[in-house]
Amino acid sequence: MAVGEQSSQTKLKRPFSPFYIGWGKRLFLGISGLVVLYFLAPPALTAGARWLIREDGLAPADVVMPLGGDARSLRVRKAATLYQQGLAKKIAVSGVPYTWGFHSRDAAKRYLIVLGVPEADILELNDSWHTRGEALNLAEVMRQHGFKSAIIVTSPYHSRRALYTFRRTAAGFTFYSAPVPAESPEWRPERWWSRRGDMEHTVREVISWGNTLVGGLQ
Amino acid sequence: MNAKRRRRVRRWLIALAALVILALAGFSALPWVLIAPAETAPSDVLLHLAIDPHSDSNLYVAQLYQQGMAKKVVCVSSQVAWETYPADYAVRHLMTLNIPEEDLSALHLPFTDCGAEDVQYLAEYVKSRGGKSALLVVDPSGSRAGRRLIEKYFGRAGIRVAVTYSPRDKQELLHDWWRTHWKAQRIVVSAIGSALDLLYPQCR
Repeated sequence: MAVGEQSSQTKLKRPFSPFYIGWGKRLFLGISGLVVLYFLAPPALTAGARWLIREDGLAPADVVMPLGGDARSLRVRKAATLYQQGLAKKIAVSGVPYTWGFHSRDAAKRYLIVLGVPEADILELNDSWHTRGEALNLAEVMRQHGFKSAIIVTSPYHSRRALYTFRRTAAGFTFYSAPVPAESPEWRPERWWSRRGDMEHTVREVISWGNTLVGGLQ
Repeated sequence: MNAKRRRRVRRWLIALAALVILALAGFSALPWVLIAPAETAPSDVLLHLAIDPHSDSNLYVAQLYQQGMAKKVVCVSSQVAWETYPADYAVRHLMTLNIPEEDLSALHLPFTDCGAEDVQYLAEYVKSRGGKSALLVVDPSGSRAGRRLIEKYFGRAGIRVAVTYSPRDKQELLHDWWRTHWKAQRIVVSAIGSALDLLYPQCR
C-alpha cells in the first residue's frame, strides 16, 4: 500500500466523540421515544386541557355574570343557582342583537325570570361581541352601582382566559371564576381529542389564548 | 463564534424567516381557500342557513325568491339562546320582505358536533318532503367545505343542489378581515373546523 493511500484512510476515520450516536442507537432511541410519547401524550394533553379551567372557591360577591355565547343556557342556569344560594345580590346579563328583532340578552333575561330570579335583580349590559367588551361593560355597571366584586360564569374551557381578561381589563375590582361543570354535552377535558366537538373547543381556546396574550384583536 | 457555527446560525435564521413568511402567506390566503364561487339554480326549495347577526342575507334570500329561484323557503338554525332560534325571526323578517307566509317555514336543528351531521339532517328533511332540488344559502366563510359536504350527502339522497351566498356578505367579510375581531374569528374558526372535520369519519 502506498504511503499516500494510507494517510487518506487515516483521515476518513471518525475521531472519538462522546456525543457520537450510531444508527443502531439512533433507531433504538427513536422507537423508545415513540413508545414513551404514546404513553405520556394522553395524560399530558388531558392535563393541558384541565389547565384551561379556572375554578375559585365560592365566595359571596356583589354580582354574578353569565357570559354570552351560551347556546345551551348552561351559564345562565348556573348563575341563577349561585344567586339563589345567596352568593350574589344581582345578575348581569349580556348579549348581541340580531338585526331582525331579537337580542340574545333578552333570551337570557327571560330564562332567569322563568328560573325565579326577580326582574329587579337582573342588570342588562350593553351589547358585547367579545369577552373584553363584556368586561368593560360589567366594569361600567359595577362602578355605577358601587360594586366591588363579581363572579364570572362561563364554559369550563373558557374560564381561565375569561378571568384573565376580566382582571386585566377591569383592574380594581375582584373577580371570581365559577364555570359550568366540565362534562357532556358542553366539554370534557378527558381525551378531548377523541371527540370532534371537544377538539374544536380546545383548539380554538388555545389559539384564543395566543391572541389574548399578544394583545391582538379584541 | 467560529465560521462553522455562524453558518449554522444563519441557516436556522433563514429557515425561521421562511417559516414566518409561509405562515403569513397562508393566513392571508385563508379567505380564498375557504370561499368557493357562488352558484344559483332554480330549485324546489331554498334552504336559508346564513342567519347571523353580521349578515344581511335575508335580503338576498328574498331577492332569490322574487327571481323565481325557489318555490319554498326554509329558514334553518340551531338554538342560540334559551328557547331562541334565529330561524323563527328570519321567517318573520322575510314576511316583511314580501314572501308569502305559506311559502315560508322554519327548521330547528339539534345540537351537533359538525356540519356534516347538519347536512345529513337537511338532506333527509328535503327528501322526506319530496324535494328533488335545493338551493342553499350559506355563510361565505364555510362555502367551500360546506359545498363538498352538501354535494356528497344531497347527491346520495338524489337531490340536485346549488350553493350560494350573499355577495354583500362576502364583500363585508373580506373588508379588513384581519383587523376586525368577528371577521378574523370567523375565518380562523372556519379554517379550523374544515381541517378538524377531516380527522373524524362522521364529519368528512
